[in-house]
Amino acid sequence: MSDTTKTPKKILLVDDDYDLLEQNRMLLESKGYTVVTADSVESAWKTFKEEKPDAAVLDLIMEEHDSGFILAHKIKRDAYGKTIPVFLLTSATMVTGMKFGVTTGEEKEWINCDAWFNKPINIDELSTKLEECFETRSM
Amino acid sequence: MEDTKPKVIIIDDEKGLRIGTQRLLQSENFDVDTAENGLTGIQMAKDIDYDLAIIDLKMPDIDGISVLKEIKKARPNTVCFIATAYASYDTAIEATKLGAFTYIPKPFTPEELLRNLNAGYERRLLILESERLKREREERLLELAFEKSRLNTIVNSLADGVFVVNKDGELVLFNPAAIKFIELNDIILGERILGILPPKISELIEKILGNPAFENKTLSAEVELKPDRGLVVEIKCSPVPHPDGSLAGVVAVLSNITETKKIEYVKSQFVSMVAHELKTPMAAVLGFLNIILNPELKTTAEQQADYLNRSRNRLQGLVEMVNDLLDISRMEMKTKQRELKELNIGEIVKGTVDFLELELKKKGITVTSKYQENLPVFKADNNEVTRLFTNIIGNAIKYNKDNGTIDVEVYTNKNYIVTRIADTGIGMKPEDKAKLFSEFFRVKNEYTRSISGTGLGLSIVKRIAESYSGRIEVESEYTKGSTFTIYLPFTK
Repeated sequence: MSDTTKTPKKILLVDDDYDLLEQNRMLLESKGYTVVTADSVESAWKTFKEEKPDAAVLDLIMEEHDSGFILAHKIKRDAYGKTIPVFLLTSATMVTGMKFGVTTGEEKEWINCDAWFNKPINIDELSTKLEECFETRSM
Repeated sequence: MEDTKPKVIIIDDEKGLRIGTQRLLQSENFDVDTAENGLTGIQMAKDIDYDLAIIDLKMPDIDGISVLKEIKKARPNTVCFIATAYASYDTAIEATKLGAFTYIPKPFTPEELLRNLNAGYERRLLILESERLKREREERLLELAFEKSRLNTIVNSLADGVFVVNKDGELVLFNPAAIKFIELNDIILGERILGILPPKISELIEKILGNPAFENKTLSAEVELKPDRGLVVEIKCSPVPHPDGSLAGVVAVLSNITETKKIEYVKSQFVSMVAHELKTPMAAVLGFLNIILNPELKTTAEQQADYLNRSRNRLQGLVEMVNDLLDISRMEMKTKQRELKELNIGEIVKGTVDFLELELKKKGITVTSKYQENLPVFKADNNEVTRLFTNIIGNAIKYNKDNGTIDVEVYTNKNYIVTRIADTGIGMKPEDKAKLFSEFFRVKNEYTRSISGTGLGLSIVKRIAESYSGRIEVESEYTKGSTFTIYLPFTK
């Protein structure tokens, strides 16, 4: 999807499950992105500061049930971080029937992310959304 | 009353009249006693509750009026007649004033006497009946008062809160539990309380009061009176009818359901955790399969084999987790059949080490062990105890370093058989140690990355140890190793 003539966009991918981390890395790379990974909130923050990624894709439940939320908030409060799209991944929807979203005003207020995706991710949907976000930001 | 004979006393100093009257009355089915002078008559009438008394006015020892006074004082319900030949209008009036039923002039004919006595007896029966009714009413009032205070005591002793408001919303009854629940300490009867009750409770009451016709329908709600499940009550409001069928007010019953709510919360937490733990490996397997099946990704045969292997491991882990969950569930429901036997812990630990020989060899781990001789027996289910040590020693292998060691020691201390299992593994940070026995907790770091596990093993160990009044202690140093010490009380 991304224009190969340009520098590939760098995605920060965070998940504490190594299989999922590897799968998603592979899927993102197949779409032409550069991927940097982390497996905890702490290491993700470090990587974020060092790598200054163009987007962040975070698993919701890691060490704690709200690790993804916490990290998303942290990134969105950062001077650089607030300029990049942040996506959250969850496996909760399929099992619990809970719907996550950032459509209502209330959700937008307390969920600091640009989109939600269910695990395993549909890479076409995710990359389309990523490109949409990049486009909006470049305008 | 009808079957009993009227009891009469004749008090007269004139023997002929005494005997004559007695015979006459006995033949008319009266039960008759006689007294030959006033004092004897008084005494007899005091001792026995006569229905009727015929008192001669003029007697040598004491006059009839005095006798009448004394008898009336002691037995106000005895119907008395004054009989005398020396009658005068004044005496008759005086006697009646003093309580005589009537006055019988002497000489009297049998018919005259009987007519008077029958009328007197009727009066006597009326008096007795009204006395009985009066007594009954008094008893009933007493009972009522008792009933009311008993009801109050019962209502006040209820663990559930109860209060009643009338249709104007005024408080007409409450018990201490209700006040405790809604924390309205200075509330008084008659106060309008709808405005000061928690809104959810007021709402229910107003809903019932808003419908002027009585409709037998109970409304209920759960109200969190203190946040974070500090105090949760279930409130049930029912209409109270007037005798005429209209609405009189509302009775509200508050039950404390905090404990139930807490359990529900823990349960739902557990369910959501289980859901997540089950979903993650499934997502991983699904993800691998999607990748293999996606032609665009052009995975190599080698990659595919790796992904299939990893998928199998995840599914294997899932099966283990389901088994562990089933074990926990059986332990929780106590449906697990226990077969209690006298066990030698030393032998079980030794057996477990032998059973895990293959895993030990794979990692090149050496086991040194020391078993105290003549260990006391421990009465327990063999499967459970074996499971406990398999989990602990299994962890000591899994989380050990290659070519590490495991020290096993079994000995007694006070009332416990103590098993100490020390490994030279990766150890734990203090913050991880604190969460070690929680369900699904797994230490996540660079060392544990490649180690599979359900996060349930130690939680099961703890449950088993505690179910036998035992306990488990952990010492650990990050990167150096961990020591698990299991205390099981021995059977004396």
